[in-house]
Amino acid sequence: MSLRVGIDFGTSNSGVAIYDGRQVKLLPIDKKNVLPEVVKTVLYITRDYRSLIGQEAIEQYYRDNINRQRRFVRQWAGEIDYRGADMHYVRDIFVYVDELKPGRLMQYLKTALRKDGYEGTRIFERYYKVGDLVQTYLGLLKQRAEELLGDSIQAVTLGRPVRFSASPEGDRRAEETLRQAAYAAGFKQVDFELEPVAAALDYEQTIQSPQNVVIFDFGGGTLDIAVMRLGDSHGRQVYASGGVDVAGSDFDRAIIEKRMLAHFGLGKVSHQPEVLEMIQAVPDWMALPELATPLNRNILEKAIRARMAPVRLKALQALIYDDLAFTFYNRVEAAKIALSDQGATLISLDDRNIGLWELYTRAQFEKDIQHYVGQVEKVLLETLAAAGLEPGQVDAVVKTGGSSNIPLFSDLLARVFGADKVRMSNSFSSVVAGLAIKAAR
Amino acid sequence: MTFAEKIEEWIKEAETRPGSALMILKLIAGRLRDLTERNEELLAENIALENGTRVDEYQKRITHLEYQLALLKKRFGADGEPLSGLPAAQPAAPQALALLAYNASGRMFRFEAFPDSQRAALGRILGEMSMGGEQPRLLALPLEEDVLLMFTSGRVSTLAAADLPFSEAGRSRFWIDAALPDEPHAGELLACLLPLSRLPLADFILQVSRRGSVKRTLSSMSESVLANHYLGRGATQKADQAFDVFLCQKKERLLLVSSQGRALALNVDELSYASEERMRLEPTDYIVASFIMPAGAALVCLTQTGKVIERAADDLEVSKSGLARGQALIPPSRLEQGTRFIGALPVGKDDRLVVLDAAGNLTLHTASVLSAAGAIKVDGPFLSAALLPYSEGPKP
Repeated sequence: MSLRVGIDFGTSNSGVAIYDGRQVKLLPIDKKNVLPEVVKTVLYITRDYRSLIGQEAIEQYYRDNINRQRRFVRQWAGEIDYRGADMHYVRDIFVYVDELKPGRLMQYLKTALRKDGYEGTRIFERYYKVGDLVQTYLGLLKQRAEELLGDSIQAVTLGRPVRFSASPEGDRRAEETLRQAAYAAGFKQVDFELEPVAAALDYEQTIQSPQNVVIFDFGGGTLDIAVMRLGDSHGRQVYASGGVDVAGSDFDRAIIEKRMLAHFGLGKVSHQPEVLEMIQAVPDWMALPELATPLNRNILEKAIRARMAPVRLKALQALIYDDLAFTFYNRVEAAKIALSDQGATLISLDDRNIGLWELYTRAQFEKDIQHYVGQVEKVLLETLAAAGLEPGQVDAVVKTGGSSNIPLFSDLLARVFGADKVRMSNSFSSVVAGLAIKAAR
Repeated sequence: MTFAEKIEEWIKEAETRPGSALMILKLIAGRLRDLTERNEELLAENIALENGTRVDEYQKRITHLEYQLALLKKRFGADGEPLSGLPAAQPAAPQALALLAYNASGRMFRFEAFPDSQRAALGRILGEMSMGGEQPRLLALPLEEDVLLMFTSGRVSTLAAADLPFSEAGRSRFWIDAALPDEPHAGELLACLLPLSRLPLADFILQVSRRGSVKRTLSSMSESVLANHYLGRGATQKADQAFDVFLCQKKERLLLVSSQGRALALNVDELSYASEERMRLEPTDYIVASFIMPAGAALVCLTQTGKVIERAADDLEVSKSGLARGQALIPPSRLEQGTRFIGALPVGKDDRLVVLDAAGNLTLHTASVLSAAGAIKVDGPFLSAALLPYSEGPKP
C-alpha cells in the first residue's frame, strides 16, 4: 500500500502527519526533541557527507565543535573588478577557511528557496544547489516517516506560504524548486496547499456560511498572517497575506538576553572583550560551539584564577564545554511555554559547576517581549488593510502555532477583533494536520 | 538588574495576578530549602577545614598520588630521576619480558621471554601440576613491574617481578624448587597475579570469581587495599572462590569464558561495586578465562586437546541482563563428546602466546599461525596459556 502524507516544511520547524480517514496522526519524527512531532528545519552535513536533521543534527554539530582545534587557511574566493574614470584593475579576494571544520550546519532552508540570487553553496568539495539541500532534508524526513509507518510513502502534500516571493516569477521558481526537490527525495506525487488554508481546514468544516477569517499562524520561526474568505461555494479566496520574522525563538533569545546573561558574568566582567564576547554569544545556539575552543577555555581559566566573577565564569565554562547548552536552551523554552498557562515558573540548571536558579514570572516575560507586540500589531493591521477589511468585518480569527498561546498576543487579538471571534486551533499541529487531510483526499 | 528589582517584579506579578502568588511562594520556599541544605554542607566543610580533617584527607591523597607516581616511574624505568627524564615512548626494540609460571600453592618461576624469539621451547617444569584442583597459570610482563598476589581468601600482597630468581630457558625445573615469595595461609590458595604499574591509569580494579561473580572497586581505593592487604574474595557463594583480578577503564568491555564454552561480554560501566553473580553457569561449569577485550583483538579459545576456536570481538554481544548464560561457543555435540575450554585470550594477529602443557613444556607460538592451523601441537593435554603483550620486531 502506498501512503500519502502531509509535510509542513517550515522555516524553523517541520512536521509530518498522516490521515487515515478518521483521525490525523502526527508522526514523532524527532524523538530527541522536546516535542517529538516537531523536527527542527536544520541540516548538518559532515565532512564525509553524512547528513543529519533535527535535534540529532544539532547534537552532532555540538559534539563535533566543542573544544575542537581550528586551523584557518587562506583560500582564493574570487576576484573583484575595480573600475574608475580612467582605470580598471582586478583584485583577488581571499577568505580564511577553517580546514578542520568537521561539518556544516544549515538552517532557514525555506528562506533560501525564495532568496533572489542565492543558487546554492559549496560544502567541502561538493556544490549543493538550494534544491539539493531541500531534497536531502525532505529525503531524511521521508525516510524517518517510512520507518515509523513501516511502509513506503508515495505522495505528499507540502505546505507553502501564500507568497514565497513578492515577484510572481520568484514565487513560481521557489515552488518549482520545492516540487523538484520533493520528487528527487523519492515522492512520486507532489502537490501543494497554502499553509493558512491547511491551518483553517478544521475550522472551515464547522462553518455554515461564508466568512472572512484571519489566520494567525505564530510558530517557532515566523508569524504568518492570512486574511481569507472561507466556506464560499465559489471557492476559497486569499485577500491578503503578511508576516514578520518574529516568533518563539526570538522570545527565547529575549529571555536569555534579559534574564540569563547575568548568571554567566554579564555586569560583573569588564575590560575583557574575549570573555564578554563569550557571554554575549550565549543567546545564539549556533555561535556557542564556535567559541568552544581550547584557546577560549584558557582565557576563561585565567579569568577564573584572577577571581573575576569566578562562580559565574565557571558556570559559563560549564555551559560551553560540559555539554549543557541544550539542556539550558530547552529549560528556557519550557519556561516560556509554561508561562502561557501559569503566572510563574522556574528556569534552573544544576550541575557540578553550574547552579542556575531564576524565578520567572509572566509579568517579567511580558515586559521582556513587549517591544515585539508593537511589531506584531503593525503587521496584523497592515495585512488587514491590504485585504480591504476593517476589524469589524472579520468573522473569526483562527490562531495556531505555539507562540499564539502567549497571553500577550491572545489579548492583542481579543483587543483588535473581540474575544468572541478568536478561535484556537491545535497550536502545534493544525497546518500539518490540514496538509495530511488534503493529501488523503 | 539588582536582586531588589527582581523582588519588585515578583511582587508586581502577585499583585497583577493573585493566583501567581502561591506558585511564587512555593518556588521561593523550595529554593530556601535547597539553600539551607547547601549552607549546612558548606558549614560542615568549613568545620572540616578548621579542625584539620580536610588537611589530613588531602595529605592522604597526596601520599597516594606519590605512590602512584613512584609506580609509574618504575614502569618507565625512571626511578630516582626527575619526570623530565621519562622516555617519550616505548623503545622500538622488543624488550625481554619476565614470564611468570605459578601455581595455586604460591610457587613461582621467572623465565625470560623475547616476543621475537625464534626458539619455540622456553623450558620445562616437572612435578605435580594440579594443586587443589587448580592448574598452574602463566603471566608475561615487563621485568620492572610490581605484581599483586591475590589469594582466594581475599588477601593481597605485592612483589617486584625482578625479585624472583631467574630460571634459565631450556632447562627442566621441579615445582618444589620454585620460589615461594608469599606462602598462602592455611585454607587459602594463590588465585592470580596482577601487574600493578598501570594502576594509576586505571579507573577500576575488577574481580571475577570461578562461579561468574563480578565486582569492581574504584582504583582510588587501592591505597587502602594495599595498606590493609585485603581486597575481598569477590564471590557471592561460600563454595565459590576468587579467580582473577585486573585493571580496567570505565568504557571497556569485560569478557568471561567458561569451561563448557559459554562467553559473556559485559560493559564495565554497568558492573556493580558489590559482588554480583553475572554469569549463570551449569552446576559443573566454571570460569576459565576473564579479561578486558582490547579493540581490534579476536577472542581465541583453547580446548584441553589444544584445538583453537577463534571469534571476532564484534560477534560477542554485550549482555544488558543482570544474570545471563552467555553465548555458546562449543557446539552441543562436541560438548557431549567432552570438549571443554581450558583457557581463552584476546589476541591480535601479530601477538605471540606461551603455552604450558601437561608434560610441563613451555612453548612459544604465533597467534596467526595458530588461527590458521586451528590447533596447538602440545604433548598431552594443554593446561595454560599467556599472551606476550609487547610483540614488535621480526617474527619467526
